[in-house]
Amino acid sequence: MEFSTMLSTMAPGMLRSVGIFTLTLLGALPLGMIVALLKKSRFVVVRAIIGAYISIIRGTPLMLQLLVWYFGPFYLFQMNIGDWRFPALILGFVVNYAAYFAEIYRGGIESIPVGQYEAAEVLGYSRAQTFMRIILPQVIKRILPAITNEVITLVKDTSLAFTLAYSEIFSLAKQISASQTSFTPFVIAGVFYFVANYVVAFVMSRIEKALDYYK
Amino acid sequence: MILEMNNIRKHFDDMEVLKDISFSVDSGEVVSIIGPSGSGKSTLLRCATFLETIDGGEIKYMGKTAAHTNDSGNAVYVSQQELHVFRNYCGLVFQHFNLCPHYSVLKNLIDAPVHVQHRSKDEAIDTAMELLQKMGIADRADAYPYQLSGGQQQRVAIARALAMKPDILFFDEPTSALDPELTGEVLKVIRQLAEEKMTMVVVTHEMPFAKAVSNRVLFMDGGVVVEQGDPHDVFDNPQEERTKQFLRVFER
Ligand SMILES: Nc1ncnc2c1ncn2[C@@H]1O[C@H](COP(=O)(O)OP(=O)(O)O)[C@@H](O)[C@H]1O
Ligand SMILES: [Mg+2]
Repeated sequence: MEFSTMLSTMAPGMLRSVGIFTLTLLGALPLGMIVALLKKSRFVVVRAIIGAYISIIRGTPLMLQLLVWYFGPFYLFQMNIGDWRFPALILGFVVNYAAYFAEIYRGGIESIPVGQYEAAEVLGYSRAQTFMRIILPQVIKRILPAITNEVITLVKDTSLAFTLAYSEIFSLAKQISASQTSFTPFVIAGVFYFVANYVVAFVMSRIEKALDYYK
Repeated sequence: MILEMNNIRKHFDDMEVLKDISFSVDSGEVVSIIGPSGSGKSTLLRCATFLETIDGGEIKYMGKTAAHTNDSGNAVYVSQQELHVFRNYCGLVFQHFNLCPHYSVLKNLIDAPVHVQHRSKDEAIDTAMELLQKMGIADRADAYPYQLSGGQQQRVAIARALAMKPDILFFDEPTSALDPELTGEVLKVIRQLAEEKMTMVVVTHEMPFAKAVSNRVLFMDGGVVVEQGDPHDVFDNPQEERTKQFLRVFER
């Protein structure tokens, strides 16, 4: 197989990898905030459930979680939901990354001095206004480096989709390499991940710079 | 009366921090609160500004009751919506400024007027610039708090509180976090506000300032008001032994 043919066979896989990446971030970034806020709920039961969720997610491999999402409905509940592969994959990623983002958000929220809340309260801000106008912007600036780390890990973790035989770039690379007895597909996949992370690092450093106007 | 606090009780865990404190502030009055660390001065201001809830007693602003003690001896507050109105009567300047670091000086001054009081942005900017002028920092309107000295930050904090047009302004040791050479500029603006008959309650360790500026001085110790009165009486001729002891520390 020629290099260009190989490249064009693998191109859809790249798109699918980008798809997993984008959907995971779109789901997990907001969901993580909800989880972080629920973790501070005044109801003990809610805090306990969220605590259990976070420790299970962090204590087990993502690969295993993906398999549970995919096969769970059938083996646990004898459910047969048509083509469940892609939804299971995205659910697995979103639920996993939301737990990690939640811990980052929580750390960021707790690092904001209590004086910020008190000043807001005396000025008459509502709880929602205090969070959106005063706390959240400062949290975002503080957690950006930690978020960058997670996003870079996510780029590489998208390759775990091969567990569910979803033909993103890594699965394709394995297939083509085996059928063509060639090493080149792995090189292509490697370059893809590297470039993707380069872009991520660039974009994140731009955002950090944009928030550099205050300390 | 702008503010009346009657028989205020407050405890943390098993410690009585305010033991049956009563005091009131009239319109245009400047009241200084002095006393050793841990005597409950901050707690009193925090109760007056609704950052802490009292256990017992009564808080009234403009003759309207914000909190009172019910028949079973517990303090009950008005609803959250009504409390919002009471919060609007008072402002608080903190020891550590607590400015929003992500807002420029101007934005710090107009954000609450616009988003809490729903005043027009143009009017809020005019008010803010006037206040900054008065505080002598109009040229720093576009700066961020981290670019300012402590004294400048505290003046911004005072302007931020004034931008809400409060009826009474509380200060909790406004110069204690400042380098000695910067306290003067902050005391100066407070003195200026006193001359304009702004109603103020100032917790301070700056005795000469308290003596010169206030109409009344309260000496607190161990959660009670030990002595209060005209500053010349309290400072020059204290009646209580504890007041004498405390003031001796500040003499040289
Ligand atoms: N949030 C709190 N929890 C427990 N104890 C507190 C709290 N705030 C203040 N205290 C205690 O209450 C007492 C009075 O404190 P404070 O009002 O800050 O005194 P002052 O301002 O006169 O130094 C101190 O012993 C302090 O440790
Ligand atoms: Mg204090």
